[in-house]
Amino acid sequence: MADNPIYEDLSPLRKRARGIFLAVEILFVLTAFYYWKIQILDYRMYSKLAEKNRIRETVLVAPRGLITDRKGVLLAQNIGSFTAALIPENTPDLEGSLAGIGEMLGIPIDELRRRMERYGSQPAFKARPIKENLSLEDVSRIDARQLEFPELVIIAEPKRFYPFGSRASHVLGYMQEVSETELKSRRFRDRHLGDLIGKTGLELEYDAYLVGQPGRQVELVNSRGRRQGLVEKQDAQPSFPLRLHLDFDLQAKAEDLLEGREGAAVVLDLKTGGILAMASYPNFNPNKFINRFSPEEWRSIVSRPDFPLENRAVRGLYAPGSIFKLTMGLAGLNEGAIDDRTSVFCGGQVTIYGQPFNCWAEGGHGSQNLTDAIRNSCNIYFYTLGKKLSIEDIARHARLYGFGRRTGIDLPGEKEGLVPTPKWKKETRQAPWFPGETISVSIGQGPLLVTPIQVAAHTAFIARRGRTVTPSLLMAPGFLRRQGDPMRDADLLLRDDIKRRNFDKIIKGMWESVNREGTGRGARVEGFDVCGKTGSAQTISTQTADRLSRNQREIKTHSWFTGFAPRDNPEISVTVLVEYGGMGGATAAPLAGELFALYRRLKAEKK
Amino acid sequence: MINRKLLTEIDWPLIGILLILSILGCLFIYSASHPQSGPHHLRQGLWIVVGLAAMAAVLLVDYKTLIAYAPFLYGAGILMLIGLLIWGRWIAGTKSWFRVASFGFQPSELMKVILILMLARLFSDYRRNVLSAAMALLSVGVVGLPMILVVLQPDLGTAVTYLPILLAVFLLAGTSRRMAVVLLLLAVGLGVLGWNVFLHDYQKQRLVTLMSPGHDPQGAGYQIQQSKIAIGSGGLVGEGFKRGSQSQLNFLPARHTDFIFAVLGEERGFIGILAVMAAFFFFLSRLFRTVSLTRDRAGAYAVFLSAVLISFQFLVNVLMVVGLFPVAGIPLPLLSYGGSSLLTTYLCVGLAINVRMRRFANV
Repeated sequence: MADNPIYEDLSPLRKRARGIFLAVEILFVLTAFYYWKIQILDYRMYSKLAEKNRIRETVLVAPRGLITDRKGVLLAQNIGSFTAALIPENTPDLEGSLAGIGEMLGIPIDELRRRMERYGSQPAFKARPIKENLSLEDVSRIDARQLEFPELVIIAEPKRFYPFGSRASHVLGYMQEVSETELKSRRFRDRHLGDLIGKTGLELEYDAYLVGQPGRQVELVNSRGRRQGLVEKQDAQPSFPLRLHLDFDLQAKAEDLLEGREGAAVVLDLKTGGILAMASYPNFNPNKFINRFSPEEWRSIVSRPDFPLENRAVRGLYAPGSIFKLTMGLAGLNEGAIDDRTSVFCGGQVTIYGQPFNCWAEGGHGSQNLTDAIRNSCNIYFYTLGKKLSIEDIARHARLYGFGRRTGIDLPGEKEGLVPTPKWKKETRQAPWFPGETISVSIGQGPLLVTPIQVAAHTAFIARRGRTVTPSLLMAPGFLRRQGDPMRDADLLLRDDIKRRNFDKIIKGMWESVNREGTGRGARVEGFDVCGKTGSAQTISTQTADRLSRNQREIKTHSWFTGFAPRDNPEISVTVLVEYGGMGGATAAPLAGELFALYRRLKAEKK
Repeated sequence: MINRKLLTEIDWPLIGILLILSILGCLFIYSASHPQSGPHHLRQGLWIVVGLAAMAAVLLVDYKTLIAYAPFLYGAGILMLIGLLIWGRWIAGTKSWFRVASFGFQPSELMKVILILMLARLFSDYRRNVLSAAMALLSVGVVGLPMILVVLQPDLGTAVTYLPILLAVFLLAGTSRRMAVVLLLLAVGLGVLGWNVFLHDYQKQRLVTLMSPGHDPQGAGYQIQQSKIAIGSGGLVGEGFKRGSQSQLNFLPARHTDFIFAVLGEERGFIGILAVMAAFFFFLSRLFRTVSLTRDRAGAYAVFLSAVLISFQFLVNVLMVVGLFPVAGIPLPLLSYGGSSLLTTYLCVGLAINVRMRRFANV
């Protein structure tokens, strides 16, 4: 029977087939259980994942707020620009894609890879900027090869633009891409990788305001990130323009005057404390920094020896030199150490504590009262005054009048300066205070350090006869003001024993300095009653300077001038510092004179 | 050739379930692809008609005749695969398609049916209870030749589906313990060799992905992740026909082809999944029962191999979409879009019905 093909014994085959089918049956049941686990037990988890998948929320960025001067001249605006970006998800072969795109846009592949890595932590559907400020040729080239590189997209975004280039660059500051560290800070935690933020100046100070109110867009998207429908949209609200106290003409003039030198100039509106001009030179063109990918340019400017990025007006620390004689005079009057009749004989040199101290004028000034001493900037007078006052008295008054602490100007990074005391010296240099140092401090030398903005505020304090002001750039809503010392704006006359008429005595000396052939005569403006004081701050110690001058060697000093006008009912103050500019009367005073003159002309034109 | 008596012996319930599943496939292909691309569901409908015609043609001829001519069919199939390698056009990175008008056809799919016939022919006179080494080697050769040609296309997914046919032959013919060990060692050796020589990086990636789909959701594990999300978010009853967000918003890749089961899971939920699985279970059990009804060895082999092939493809696909099997590019029989796969299934079913209705004919 086994040989009969019709009646084959197929039972082993059937048995095996049943065995296999049993295995299939078991697999069916197990599979069903697994689907039960996913669809019933884990339903909640997967349904949340699905929800997250299809909803995309994007932040709509408002164009950055404009910045204008007091007359409405646009100092910072926005222009359209194109950025090429790559969406990694849209290419199956990233390396090949990078090679092709690098060739098209002329970027070396290593550089391109680096740029991609900068945004490595972002999800693959997010566009990563790879080239900014595309030329029109680039845009059309990318457009033409859209089919070949679907992962390459062009993003049109408003870009910060400073129409006057380097004008007021230190005041405005500049923008750069937010760093990883900054993203972790409280201030920038709402920003995202790739965002541009203000790094210095007003761009940083008012960054939170300038970004405006970002909008929000919730879309239904597919897996390619392509939009399938809009769920919700909230438009972005740009901020109102920031209007500054700055006067563009004065600002331009101040910068032009400083060109070729290193220094700073500050013009204050004495009625409000508003800053009409703040120049620091050398300056920079902030337009060049608004780029995510050219750190070379940035590095080269950072490493320049003349520090063009530093705002010398608020961050430059200098010995005040003879400018400090105004402070000394006020201190002496208020402490009762001198009065306007006190006179001192200047013979060119005086010996104090066994050390010789020189006046800058060889042969001396003869008999000097306070007014004469300020006009002639006589050292001997103030050495003698310094001997009568203690260093603690000097420091107390200097602090009271604004030195050694920030003025509170609305710019980031303002320096405090330094008003030395024996306590300070002991703590920082582990050495006792020598009486001779007090004598150096009396003429604004020694460890004393001030910033130009402090000198400007100090001048305003004198001009306003004891009423302080907080210098400010923003002419604007109070809610933007930073929270400062509540006592700062309080009337010092009320809180301390400073007599109003003492200011007039100092101011008389300042007026004579400019108008009666004093050291400040270079700042004289016909009919404007300029009052001022020069300073020539040594950049080396007094002793060394003496030795050098005895040997007929030239000493380059920082050249200061600070003053205000008119004498009665003052309107503006001008402070000028030129590094290594020589004598204050020779370099700084004429520059200040030009600024006073321009202010007067502008005022006349306005009328 | 065919008479009324034979007509009554046709397994009408099997054809019924076949049609139901095919039409269900059309519906979900429609749901998965309707906003984009072409009318895939209509093309699939056309393929169903073609499949039915082919099945009818298969029924007209006695299966013994088909098996007798198997060597010629096999030769023609091999020539077709070789021709494809020489003259075939590159489509989606492989040379696995013949194009007629706008319809493409994969000879590698049809080759499965030819292999089943060829193996049935080979084993029709094999009476021993245990597989001999010579027969084992012969069947490895018969399956291996077209498999290599398909790997060269390269279409590893289809090539892999030839393996269960070979395995099924071994199992049905009966394997001694020694042979099982030899086969196991051979398989491991081939696996190691394959990993190092034949597998492309993306294929290795897929295997790695199987191990941990969550670790790189945007990358290679993306498909599995999205597919699991689709199925999981379907819940008990699903989000409704054409309402699955994963499927409708394009999150699901290859959703009208290899991942159609995920669309079903999302839009019809666990109940839909169970219903389709039950239908398939009924369908497969019908096929396996036919094995027991056959009177001759060749018929038993042909039906059994067909049943195993379809079971394998179904289970692999269903496990693949939930990440329990590598993404191997194996479509879901009857439901996935694709004419060649559908036609192959119809031919297999036709063969089984042929065997069943002629079981008394030669008595």
